[in-house]
Amino acid sequence: MKIAVCVKQVPDSETRINLAAPAPELDQSGFTRVLNPYDAYAVEQAVRIKESREGVEVTAITVGPQTVKETLKKDCLAVGCDKAVIVDDPALAKADHAAIATVLAAVLGREPYDLVLFGLKAIDGDAGQVGILVAQKLGLPHVSTITKLELGEGSLKAEREIEGGKEIVEASLPCVLTCQKGLNEPRLPSLPNIMKAGMKPIETVTCRDLGIEAPANLVTVKLYSPPPARGACKLVEAEDPAAAARELARLLSEEAKVI
Amino acid sequence: MPNIAVFIEHRSGVLKKVAWQMLSEARRLADAHGGEVWGVFLGPDAAPAAATAGKHGADKVFAATGDAFAVYDSELWGTALAAFCTARKPDLVLVGSTALGKDLAPKAAAKLGCACISDAVGLKFDGGWEIRRPIFAGKCFADVTFSTPLAIVGIRPNAFVMAESPKAGAVESFDPGLDGVRSKAKVMSVEAATSGKVTLTEAEIVVSGGRGIKGPENYPLIEKLAEALGAAAGASRAIVDAGWVDYSHQVGQTGKTVAPNLYVACGISGAIQHLAGMSSSKCIVAINKDANAPIFKVADYGIVGDLFAVLPALTDEVGRIRG
Repeated sequence: MKIAVCVKQVPDSETRINLAAPAPELDQSGFTRVLNPYDAYAVEQAVRIKESREGVEVTAITVGPQTVKETLKKDCLAVGCDKAVIVDDPALAKADHAAIATVLAAVLGREPYDLVLFGLKAIDGDAGQVGILVAQKLGLPHVSTITKLELGEGSLKAEREIEGGKEIVEASLPCVLTCQKGLNEPRLPSLPNIMKAGMKPIETVTCRDLGIEAPANLVTVKLYSPPPARGACKLVEAEDPAAAARELARLLSEEAKVI
Repeated sequence: MPNIAVFIEHRSGVLKKVAWQMLSEARRLADAHGGEVWGVFLGPDAAPAAATAGKHGADKVFAATGDAFAVYDSELWGTALAAFCTARKPDLVLVGSTALGKDLAPKAAAKLGCACISDAVGLKFDGGWEIRRPIFAGKCFADVTFSTPLAIVGIRPNAFVMAESPKAGAVESFDPGLDGVRSKAKVMSVEAATSGKVTLTEAEIVVSGGRGIKGPENYPLIEKLAEALGAAAGASRAIVDAGWVDYSHQVGQTGKTVAPNLYVACGISGAIQHLAGMSSSKCIVAINKDANAPIFKVADYGIVGDLFAVLPALTDEVGRIRG
């Protein structure tokens, strides 16, 4: 069985973004970059499947410059992925999710995979589209936002998060899945495994190697960080907590008119 | 003269409010720039959807009915939405950013090879479209354009104000193009969660708890206030990771991004990743015993105090006000 996990390196969730003025792009040079947290659930799920069956090979696939290697080694190869592929091409500097999906579909099309796992979205672009776009490009079924997975022979059953509940979905393999928090608890890499990860193969390819062009169909006109337009916080002070609560309720009802 | 189509979502027959919000905004744009506003409905019975869609400004409602549309199915519904777009050629298709919409929009866009924009909060037309969407969970906003003739745009619930503007909303059926199309991933059953009656992403009020509640046994304080307010109950990443509350309640960069009319943060210090997920809320209340907590920097109202004393009193008072 072959499993592919498509991952992205992103600025960590503690990153602050302060644009002094609207700008066409973000200077990300000072950001601390990590594995997208949702992708960690996908990697962990792939490794758990590998540990529970014979003959499973897990390939991590990403798009980005060579600096993504550190993330691939520490958070994919050191926790159990067998090999990795990087699509590194300056032509993809302004790639949107449709372009990334084209690239990933080309990599995935080189050999048959039984299961292709994604995080449900990346925490920088927040689009949540790439896994679904790839599934359609490959003509595969997909189940998005999964929180539970039972793998059978040639088929799977997954739970998918919806508003106020879940859907139980069945699909045949090969299949694309996008992973939500709650699916599993990702392990941390051990130091010896991080050392050994350096021995695992990482292949680098370009769009030309894949025989594709991947044009973007979205253009970012400008980026801006939201203005700190809020006034000062009105602190409610009263002789006791109950009186403060009553005054707060009054303000929300009569002044802010939100209750 | 753009024509805007709005996808009217139902789940088990219940129509989603985000559709009326999107129709209201589409109507405002059409009144200003010309063009028609269309509803698109997939479901067993189009009549209730069309009646309400007309009230909120739909000139027409294109409907495909049949058993295939009783329960969501990505392949069948994606095929149908793509068939509608091919036949009627709208300039923009708006789809609510719900669990269903987030699955359907890219599916249909991939079939059409058109642009797809997720989670938008603003639409501007000035000869061409500029779509505004938060990235980095709201730490930053992007204005984007697209180079394809059509774009499918996901719209965040509560981004637009619902308005009434009665139009005909006449139903016209369309061929969903399902001949020879088979379901690829099938929904076998739907289970409702036992907790939290109001869902986080669609709620107009959210009450969230953080580490200040001290333990899972105190989360009912949050739930009781939420219930009194008709609100959804949220949580910080810290208490989700600690296993006090189910992850589906998490607000923040690795949880849900919310922008309700009122957000009440109880015992939440305000980590940057949490603030990203809720700072677009229209009114923010912080209740925290630490006066220096960063949450007070984004709050409109605050109480520096013991939430164990404040929350029960606030719950009672809200109950009294709301009758």
